[in-house]
Amino acid sequence: MSDDFLTRLREEPRPEFAARLEEHLHQIDVQREAPRAPGALRRLAPALAGAGLVCAIALGFTLEPVRAAARGFLDLFRVKSFAAVPVDPARLERLAKGGLDFKGLLAEQVQVVVAPEGPQPVDSPEAGALAAGITASQPSVLPRRYALAESAVARPGTFRVTIDNAKLQALALAAGADEIEIPPAWNGATLEVALPPVLALRYARTVEPGSEAPRGEAGFALLQSAVPQVDLPEAFDLATLGRLGLRVAGMSAAEALAFSRSIDWRSTLLVPVPIRGGTYREVDVSGHKGLLVTYQPQPRPATDGTTRPPRQQALLLWTASGKALAITGPGDGVQHLEMAESVR
Amino acid sequence: MGGVRLSAWFAPAADREAIDWGAVYAQELSRVLNYFRYRGFERTTAEDLTSATFEKAWRGRERYRPERAAVSTWLVAIARNVATDHLRRPRREVPLAEVSTRDEATPETEALADADRRRLATLLAGLPERERELLALKYGAGETNRAIARLAGLSESNVGTILHRALTGLRARWDEGGAR
Repeated sequence: MSDDFLTRLREEPRPEFAARLEEHLHQIDVQREAPRAPGALRRLAPALAGAGLVCAIALGFTLEPVRAAARGFLDLFRVKSFAAVPVDPARLERLAKGGLDFKGLLAEQVQVVVAPEGPQPVDSPEAGALAAGITASQPSVLPRRYALAESAVARPGTFRVTIDNAKLQALALAAGADEIEIPPAWNGATLEVALPPVLALRYARTVEPGSEAPRGEAGFALLQSAVPQVDLPEAFDLATLGRLGLRVAGMSAAEALAFSRSIDWRSTLLVPVPIRGGTYREVDVSGHKGLLVTYQPQPRPATDGTTRPPRQQALLLWTASGKALAITGPGDGVQHLEMAESVR
Repeated sequence: MGGVRLSAWFAPAADREAIDWGAVYAQELSRVLNYFRYRGFERTTAEDLTSATFEKAWRGRERYRPERAAVSTWLVAIARNVATDHLRRPRREVPLAEVSTRDEATPETEALADADRRRLATLLAGLPERERELLALKYGAGETNRAIARLAGLSESNVGTILHRALTGLRARWDEGGAR
């Protein structure tokens, strides 16, 4: 039976309607991805540790910015939540070229109390959890054709940071942040940062018998640890230290001041996100606030000498049940969220 | 288990291309709009509901799960919810047949097509809600019987039976009125 007559109601969208709706959808993304006003930040992403920001910037930005963000997971300080900070890698490069030695400024102030240990393979997630002193959480949902490939435990170590006011002041001046006064009482104060072991589970694409493993595919990783503890001197003003980090990252004095007042510095870990090529948004992970960062890694030369643009990557961070968790891997974050929501 | 380098896990890795949501919008706009038109909403309302559908989808697109449904089916599922919410509101919907062309210029060459649309809209309006919903999914949104079955919670054979019955009745009434 012909049903041609039933197609006669069909119509194409009016061009002006299609254009208006498309622009509206675009504006949704613009509003999401634009650097948030302080008020929005308060709602969007409550707090992260200020000292963590400085460490991440000082140690991390000679590397690819968002890889530093991922590594920042290992630098957690009493994390309850995460907040994104737009940073301008070019500004950091300019500061470094101008003679600012980030590593040197920090290295002399950091003493290793317990040396970090790189990831050591373990037989199973449960064995790793036992070693890490946590209960293993695992996702019940994985990207199609992915399976658990490796389990490992890393020990980020314990550090003692001794504040040197002269060096912090030099950093402030180099960053043009001369409005920030380093309190004299800080000089010689120490912060002790004990980072708990991290259980890392890697999920890789399964390989059909007789076929080759995909090259260059690291797959997805689920990282989890107890929330780290940081000993701070009494009345230590993390917000001021955080402001200094924000200024180094490229915020104006007014922005940094407003931002620093909007978050709880003693419970929020700041995650640097490059202002170009990176996006961030607050997400919900089974009722917990999380931060989803997407970024485009820098192209790297292949073994044949060619350079191909790498795939988009995403990093999802959240806390739950006294643990800090992160999922990294390729894509725009959809699969990360699916995995995260199934983590038990 | 071989050695593990945690840092390598953050290295670029290939998996799947990110979905081009701009392309999804371009491809699916017409289907979603026509779903609402076949459900019986006049143009302005259909456009409003289409906007609401895409806005919901856009804001929640990180939750789209490709292994569960095609993106087109996912969008239509959102559209169905939007339609349901709209119909629950206490307002009077103007039947499509009354208004389908009243805000449009109707050149002579389009007059017959407009008349056909009005007739078809009138016939659709007389159908039971379930038949009309399935026809909207089939002819408005262009879904397959299998996808409709999943969306409506029916078996595929049941969907085929309902659509066949609806189509037979409509065809008869359409022919009674004089096919063009």
